Parts: sequence; structure tokens; C-alpha cells
Amino acid sequence: MTKLAVVELKLLTREPGAVFSLLIPLFILVVFGSSIEPGDTVLLPMALAIAVGLVGLYLLPTTMATYRERGILRRLSTTPVRPANLLVVQLLLQLVLALTACGLLLAVAGTVLGAHLPTRVLPGVLTFLFGTAAMFAVGLLIAALAPNGRAANGIGVLLYFPMAYLAGLMQPTDQMPDMLARIGEYTPLGAFRQSMQDVWAGGAPSPLLLGVMAAYAVVISVAAARFFRWE
Amino acid sequence: MAVIEVTDLRKRYADLTVLDGVSFSVEEGEIFGILGPNGTGKTTTVECVEGLRRPDGGSIKMLGLDPVKDGRKVREQIGVQLQHTQLPENIKVWEALDLYASFYAKPRDWRELLEEWGLADKRNARFGKLSGGQKQRLFIALALVGNPRVAFLDELTTGLDPQARRTTWELIKQVRASGVTVVLVSHFMDEVEELCDRVAVFDRGTVVAIDTPAGLVDGIDAEHQMRFTLMAGDMVELGGLPGVTGVTRTGNRVVVTGRGDFATAVTAELARHHILVGDLRIDKRTLDDAFVALTGRSFGSTH
Repeated sequence: MTKLAVVELKLLTREPGAVFSLLIPLFILVVFGSSIEPGDTVLLPMALAIAVGLVGLYLLPTTMATYRERGILRRLSTTPVRPANLLVVQLLLQLVLALTACGLLLAVAGTVLGAHLPTRVLPGVLTFLFGTAAMFAVGLLIAALAPNGRAANGIGVLLYFPMAYLAGLMQPTDQMPDMLARIGEYTPLGAFRQSMQDVWAGGAPSPLLLGVMAAYAVVISVAAARFFRWE
Repeated sequence: MAVIEVTDLRKRYADLTVLDGVSFSVEEGEIFGILGPNGTGKTTTVECVEGLRRPDGGSIKMLGLDPVKDGRKVREQIGVQLQHTQLPENIKVWEALDLYASFYAKPRDWRELLEEWGLADKRNARFGKLSGGQKQRLFIALALVGNPRVAFLDELTTGLDPQARRTTWELIKQVRASGVTVVLVSHFMDEVEELCDRVAVFDRGTVVAIDTPAGLVDGIDAEHQMRFTLMAGDMVELGGLPGVTGVTRTGNRVVVTGRGDFATAVTAELARHHILVGDLRIDKRTLDDAFVALTGRSFGSTH
């Protein structure tokens, strides 16, 4: 198990997609960060949502679908190690990647940009976990349904843009049509961004939105497990 | 001692019967061939034996164990090279071997395998950069890294050039020499003839024959031909010789068709009448002919 994790970690660092998932949100943060007012509570939650969205919708499903497509899961099932171990290791590593991306954003925003960081840690951590769980569930469902790595990649990218738009990551929600903004709040990524923004504003995330994210995480994961094929 | 015993194996997918009562046994230390065209149940059979699939009926004893119930114990003692599997593009050769070695309780030293399989200078190369032959050697090395008692090799020379195939064959013989039982799935007649001690011929989900490659060829009574050119002397009547079924002559070219060892009788008759012939050719009967005789259709036409 340890060796599997070490090798998978090495493979992840050799994956250009992983580097992009770290750099794209950072790039957006730095570009827009130069024009934020002190005490801004909007930009950093957006960047965090972009980072988690990229890992969950793009990197996770592409990696897993590729492993199935290349017969790596099938090959593993002929060894004493179960292929499920590989999926668990991958999920944990992608979680580490999402954490790294968010940590990087917080560090850069907190030091270089002098952005506001929330003083209470727990609500932020909770929101991160719920939101990441919801996005990873979507990624797992893509991995379960996509016939191969390229298709998973395509579906991930196709889903990312509407989800990012609805989540208010491309246009501030107050400039979006009312209806879309309201719907967007209840999408996995939208609920994540809104809850993070609540945390940044010093409040607690709404229990309703946390519940929405938890529901997405559970329902979609169950569907993913139901449809997942090992080969 | 039999290391694998398969009795009356059955498997259906929806309306399609893939295995319809397959039985065979594999002895310790032999290279056992599973031969047949694509889609005759070879791979399904092997996957059942490896515990990858559950059969619908019949029994499998793998080293005395049930591959489904005692899956982990079975997988400790087998090494598998699967058709159509790859590794991650960016994994290095040594990392793959090191990783797969860590899956087993008593693995072989993978550094030795690197040497044996000619991959020592590719140790730090990434999988995606290897040639077809190098990838294939890595897959075989991975199948052996767990120090298995039985190695399953599925279509191992598909896609290799003739030189690489020959090299691979020599290596497989070394695997047998080291005491590992090899189950070789193939649709190449020449490969099976070259390597296998015994062969099970598959057709439409059943085993139609099990024998040595030579035994399979000898067992058939198919017509074959000898041809020659008359150089000197007058042609004599050959039609009455034992085994001969037909003689055709076009100018100086003669084609004699027959069964069994008719060619000896023909050459003796020609010698007795001092007939000088040149360009003599006797078609060698091959496993291909054996397959046609066993199944009533040609091997190639089933692809």
C-alpha cells in the first residue's frame, strides 16, 4: 500500500494536468488580486472553488478512466492486491492535490496580496470537505460512465464550464440573471463557492448549503459505485 | 502432478454460450498451449482459472485451490501477462517492477529480472518510451516478479516483429527451465509448435483435442500433396500405390495427392523405374491441417 501510494504520487507529479490544476487558480488569483480592495471576501473563495473544481471534474475522472482503459485495474486484479486499493490511493492523492492547491492559494493571498483570511478555521475546513466530497463524487461518476480517458477528459471539461458559470466563477452572481444565480447556488460548485464566501464574510456556512453538498456527495457517489466497471 | 485441473467448465453471457464444457489439466513444469482462433473461449477459460471471472458451472482446481474462494492464495502463486493491458505512460521500468514485487509475499529480486529480460539499460526509461518488444519483455518480467509457480501468458508475441518473436520464444523456454509451469494462450500455430509440450485445441467453446503438437499433426489423416518435375525416364502409373488418391500431370510437372505416408511409396516406385525427378516437394503437414481436420474449417477463415 505504501509503495503504491509513493509510486502514484510520483506519477501525479509527472502529470502536466496536476501542475495546471495548481497553477490556473493561482494565476487567476494573482491577475485579479492586484485590483481587489482590502478586506475582499469574494476573490479567494472563487479561486478555491476553481481549484477544487479542476481537480474533481478534470484530473480525478481522467486519471481513473485512463487506468481502467489501459487495463491497469484488470492487471492489478490478478495480483494479491485488490484494484480497489488503487482507487482509494488515487482518491487520497487527489484530495492531497486539492489541499495543496488551496494551501498555495491561501499562502499567496495571505502574504503577497494581503487578502483577508477568515479567523475561524473550522467552518472553512468543513466547507472544504463537503464541497470537495461533492465535486469528487461528480468526478467519480464521470469516471464510471466514460468509456475511456479521453472521453472522461472531454466530459469533465464540458461540465466544468457550465458548472463554473452557474457557480458564479465567470461572472459575479449579482450580474447574472436572477434565476440562474438562484439555481447556481444549489449546484455542487455554486454551493461550495457561496459557503466559502459566507465563511470569508465572517459568518457560518448555511446548513442548507452544507446539506446540499453532502446530498450531492452521497447520491452521486452511490450512482458512481453502481455504474463503475473495472474493465 | 497436475497444477491445474479444469472439469466441465461452463460460461454464458446473455444468449451467448462462451464455454460449453471445457476440461483439461496442466502438469507441473510443462508449457501448456491453449490454441484456437479468436472468440473460441480461450481467454475466458484462462480468466476463470485466474479467478478473474466466475464460471457458471464446472470446477477448477488451481494448485489444489478454488480460484474464486481462495482467490488471494491463488493470486500469490500465479503470474499473469494479459492481452491489451498497459502501464501508466510515465512509470519507469524499475518502478513498475519494484511496485509489482511489493504486492507479493515472497517476490523475486526484480534487479535480476531486469538483467534476465534485457531491460537493465532501460531501468530508468518511462513505459511510454519503450518499444513494443521492450514493453512485452517488461510484461513478462512483471508476470514473473511474484516468483509464481504458474505463469499465464496471453498472446505474448502479437505485434512483435519476427526477430523479437524468436527472442521471446527463447526466453519462454528459459522460464520453463527455471521450473515455472507456463500456460500459453495463442492463435499462432508456429508459436505453439515451437514452444508447447502439450496443446488444447479450442473451437466454439469446447476443447476438441489435447495432445503434443506432433501428436496432433500425426493424428490427422488429411490429404496432402507432393510435387516434382520429370527430368528423365517415362512416367509410370502411380495411381495404384497405397495412400495415393490422385495424380495430375501438366507437361513435366506432376502433382500427387494422397493420405498418410504415400510419399515414400511414390519415391520408391520412381526409383525402381529409374525415373529421375527434380524440384521435389512434399507438403509438410502442420498444426493448421490438424486444426482443419479437427474442426472442419480453416483456422484463418474464423477470424
